[in-house]
Amino acid sequence: MSQRKKKGEFIVERNYVDDQRIIEPEKLEIGGVDMSGRWGLLVLPRTIEDFDHSLHAMVKNHPRGRNIDRCWQCGNCTAACPVAEENPLFNPRYLIYIIKLGYKLEIEKFGNYVYFCGSCGRCSEVCPKDVDPSGVMEAIGTALRRKP
Amino acid sequence: MRRRDMSEIHPVLVIGGGPAGLKASADLAELGYDVVLVEKLGQLGGAPIRWGYKTLAPELRPTEEVMGPLIEYVEGNGNVRVMKNSVVEGATGGLGDFTVTVRNLMNGATESLKASAIIVATGFEHFDAKVDPRYGYGRNPDVIGIHELEGMLKEGRVVKRNGDPPKRIAFIFCVGSRDKSTNLWCCTVCCGVSIKQAIELKHLLKDADIYMIYMDIRTFGLWEKLYWKSMEEYGINYIRGRVGEIYAIGDKLLVKGEDTLVRGPFEVLFDMVVLAVGMEPGSGTAQVARALNLKVNEFGFLEPRHPNIHHDSGRDGIYLAGACVAPMSVEEALAEGSAAAMQVAKALRRLQRAVVK
Repeated sequence: MSQRKKKGEFIVERNYVDDQRIIEPEKLEIGGVDMSGRWGLLVLPRTIEDFDHSLHAMVKNHPRGRNIDRCWQCGNCTAACPVAEENPLFNPRYLIYIIKLGYKLEIEKFGNYVYFCGSCGRCSEVCPKDVDPSGVMEAIGTALRRKP
Repeated sequence: MRRRDMSEIHPVLVIGGGPAGLKASADLAELGYDVVLVEKLGQLGGAPIRWGYKTLAPELRPTEEVMGPLIEYVEGNGNVRVMKNSVVEGATGGLGDFTVTVRNLMNGATESLKASAIIVATGFEHFDAKVDPRYGYGRNPDVIGIHELEGMLKEGRVVKRNGDPPKRIAFIFCVGSRDKSTNLWCCTVCCGVSIKQAIELKHLLKDADIYMIYMDIRTFGLWEKLYWKSMEEYGINYIRGRVGEIYAIGDKLLVKGEDTLVRGPFEVLFDMVVLAVGMEPGSGTAQVARALNLKVNEFGFLEPRHPNIHHDSGRDGIYLAGACVAPMSVEEALAEGSAAAMQVAKALRRLQRAVVK
């Protein structure tokens, strides 16, 4: 079997497709027919099809995440964040939004960047609604680890 | 030589029996002036009574607390002659001496009246969402307007057409507002009203998940409190974006839009969609503008002489009040009704002071 360089390498215009949306089983047999390889490849749609509030509920029950519902997406936290200044993939405002609404694909793509948070607390100083984003980042981190 | 007394002053004509017109009539009657109140429909109270608003934003107080005493006072006070099912067809003359034609819509009879001054308070109409086909309003009974939801909330029974209580409900903001293809202006109250209704739905249907799909949240002034409360105490969800299409799939509604905060399309099934329909001047305002030869602005609202002084119609003896000038809340309409009544009282006192031989 040939060595694969990249997930979903057969996809035309591969750059349009996030890794998270590609399902590519090593071995796939359907009705006794070997469907492994490019025939078994599945690309999930980019469209948001549902909300899943399970992580949000875990964050809300965390002692430092309980104010997540106050967030109205102003972006003061991200504006004050020294990590976001260097790394555009870590965005506390965005993490709060996708957790609140439970956008699965976005969480798969960006969720683990929550651990980039240095807990400096600047976001919590500037937040106009006392969300305590620094605490919410900790709560999201915990929720993602404990996710069933 | 003596001053004219009040009995020599013709009655004041008030057109429109909503919050502004009722408040103007009540205030003038209390000052001792005779009032003729002309209302197009068969009942007083304007939009809040016609559509059965359950409560008013921002404190969720029953609508009757505001409208009840006003209607009672106007109907019970001997100084106000209420003419329902009637419209004003024309007016000649000026301050102190108008001759007005009023037509009864039920029997077609016209009556000629004398009036000393005229207050126009013809209010607004809720935007008819059938005009904007993307939401399927009028085709799908589970797509309703906020004015219709008010009536359902008042009955205490919010169900889908099939009788089931809705589990997942979307509110779509700015329907028929801030849109070049319909109306350009902001209706100023629909954010607050929608949020108020979402809170009331949460009281009624505890397990319902509610999603507000918005471009901007414009809960002006102290109404802001509603917005905060809805998120913090009721867990109502806010999605920033616009909806392009709604399809019926079985007995659910597939709502297609873009979440502009994640830069991604969504296609989510909902049980019920509530459209935050805007305010427009309506046919009553257009008809009165023609009958009284009043200036109308580019949007169809009555145009005051100065944009910051609503009561001055630009015609001597004719005053404006309420949502026929611009979209506004009930509390603002009441204040404008009072303000117009004050202008009339001032003008008529000047007339009274004129010495009669």
